[in-house]
Amino acid sequence: MSNEHPHSPSPLPLDSGAQALAAALHSSFGIVKVVMVLLFGLFLVSGFFAVGPQQKAIILRFGKPVGEGDKVLLGSGAHWAWPYPIDEVIKIPITEVQEVRSRSHWFLQSAVQEAQGEIPQAGPSLNPELDGYALTADGNIIHAKATLRYRIEDPVHCVFDFSSDTNQTFGLAGISNAVLSVLDNALIYAAARSRVDEVLLDKIAFQDAVKRRVVKLVLEQKLGVAVDLCLVETRQPRQLDQAFKNVTDAGQKRRTAVVEASSYRDKKLNGAEGEAVARLNSAQTERNDMVSKIRGDADLFAKVLPSFRANQELFVQQRLVETLGRVIAGVDYKMYLPTTPDGKPIELRLNLNREPLKATATEPKR
Amino acid sequence: MKKNLLTIIVSAVLALIFVLILFVFQVRQSEVAVVTRFGKPVRTQTDPGAYFRLPPGIESVYKLDQRIQNFEDAFTETYTSDNNNLLVTVYVGWRIADAQAFFPKFKGGSIIDAERNLKDIVTQAKAAVVGKHPLADFVNTSEKDLKFDVIEANIKAIVQDQVTANNSGIRIEYLGIKKLGLPESVTQAVFERMTADRKKLADDLDSQGISEALKIRSTADREAAQKISTAEGEARRIKGEGDAVAASVYPVFQQNPELAKFLLDLESLEASLKERSILIFDSRTAPFNLFTGGLTNRTNK
Repeated sequence: MSNEHPHSPSPLPLDSGAQALAAALHSSFGIVKVVMVLLFGLFLVSGFFAVGPQQKAIILRFGKPVGEGDKVLLGSGAHWAWPYPIDEVIKIPITEVQEVRSRSHWFLQSAVQEAQGEIPQAGPSLNPELDGYALTADGNIIHAKATLRYRIEDPVHCVFDFSSDTNQTFGLAGISNAVLSVLDNALIYAAARSRVDEVLLDKIAFQDAVKRRVVKLVLEQKLGVAVDLCLVETRQPRQLDQAFKNVTDAGQKRRTAVVEASSYRDKKLNGAEGEAVARLNSAQTERNDMVSKIRGDADLFAKVLPSFRANQELFVQQRLVETLGRVIAGVDYKMYLPTTPDGKPIELRLNLNREPLKATATEPKR
Repeated sequence: MKKNLLTIIVSAVLALIFVLILFVFQVRQSEVAVVTRFGKPVRTQTDPGAYFRLPPGIESVYKLDQRIQNFEDAFTETYTSDNNNLLVTVYVGWRIADAQAFFPKFKGGSIIDAERNLKDIVTQAKAAVVGKHPLADFVNTSEKDLKFDVIEANIKAIVQDQVTANNSGIRIEYLGIKKLGLPESVTQAVFERMTADRKKLADDLDSQGISEALKIRSTADREAAQKISTAEGEARRIKGEGDAVAASVYPVFQQNPELAKFLLDLESLEASLKERSILIFDSRTAPFNLFTGGLTNRTNK
């Protein structure tokens, strides 16, 4: 019994070289297949990616963002997407609140100088290429800088409609530049409709005007952001620091003069009020005294009238002596002039002089 | 057989990848693709997705950034209609609106070339528009008279018209003034004027302080005098009341005017000799008449 199939051709005998080649090809295909399977596995595993805490990610499937609205943004954590070219993962450094700083209208100042609050020396003029400034409504010059904080409301619009650079990368630099331009515009617009003193003294109103303009332009230019906070700082040109200080000093001096005058007024009016009350009290007292006295006199009169009528001479003498007694007791000098033996009174001569005048000034020596 | 199946799958995958690379291209959300056939633009793809193409050599695909480009021009000196020399910088948000027109216009669809071209157009547009407005349209206390928005809209319209006329494939999304300035020499003159203004303001404040203080003091003096004067009048009225009361009592003394006068004399005498007085008596005055035996003599008589 033969185990060979009657129709199957009998294998050709291979020489040893051919057998070795066949074995090598067989094993190579095996390796290629294993590598292919591994690569395919790696291809699938490569779809995992992580998003950091200060990042958001967007998956583009065949170039189109997956999801709509806020769902298009993937938060921090592990995610999976089909590997390229099906999906493409874009990571964007995005925080809750974005910030731009406008220094276009501020004088030339390095970051170190700004951090240390150092004001660089000023020349007699401003070079518009180096020193930024804004013009006010009354034709003056001021410096202004601002910090704007905003939130991304339409992330797809902000990322895919504003160019970050010329390399077609994705990020928020494009929208940041657009917002910064709007902030620069708002600063010069607000300054252009305000007087220099309004800009420098009523800073809150100026800041509100800047913010209003920013909000208006953000809506008009459809930037897809919402303004949270706008902080503005203004100052006069450094060249005029002393001139502005003189005005401040003059204002202070004026306030001091007014305060001193007000103090004088209070003192004067309080004094007058007191004096008026004193005069009224005095008049009241005088009135009361007079009324009391006249009434007392009337009472006395009524009491002594019967005695007077009874013996007028005795009454008079009695009262006169009583009164003289009291008067004499209180008098400093009392003189009695007795009568001479011939009945004539003694003559008393008094030399009455005015008191000598006090010397008022020393007479010049002759 | 199993081995053959695996081989077929792997081969198919490889073939698929090869075909995809050769015949499919992808357009991302931010891009617009220009497809050229033998170097000539034949179509554009603006929507994101995967699209078929003929293999390289026949068709080429160029991807352009269709996002808004934020462009800022440099300071240029322009004269306002009232001959003020003004430096103006604007920012422009522009994008590729027609990639098929844009691509051949600028070398390889170069954004940099496009912005270089745009810069010239913007400079001309700025000069044309600024020259039609007086300085008061740029800086004014009245928001109504401030023509920022009109000026920006006019510049934008001219730029848009120009790029459209040039068939640049560009659309201007927005345009705004970024900086306003004055030539350097003018800033020095402005500082001199501002210094003079400040000096005047300081002098005004000084004189206002003196004037206000004087007003307050003189008003206080007047009001104080008025208070005292009013009080004086009131005091007189009160005293008058006392006089009236006294007058009502006087009829009592009419019963005996001689006694009344005597009592008043006594009172006056006592009151007038209270302090620093010298009293000289002779022997006829009681009680000193006692020294001359007044009462005894009288008795003897």
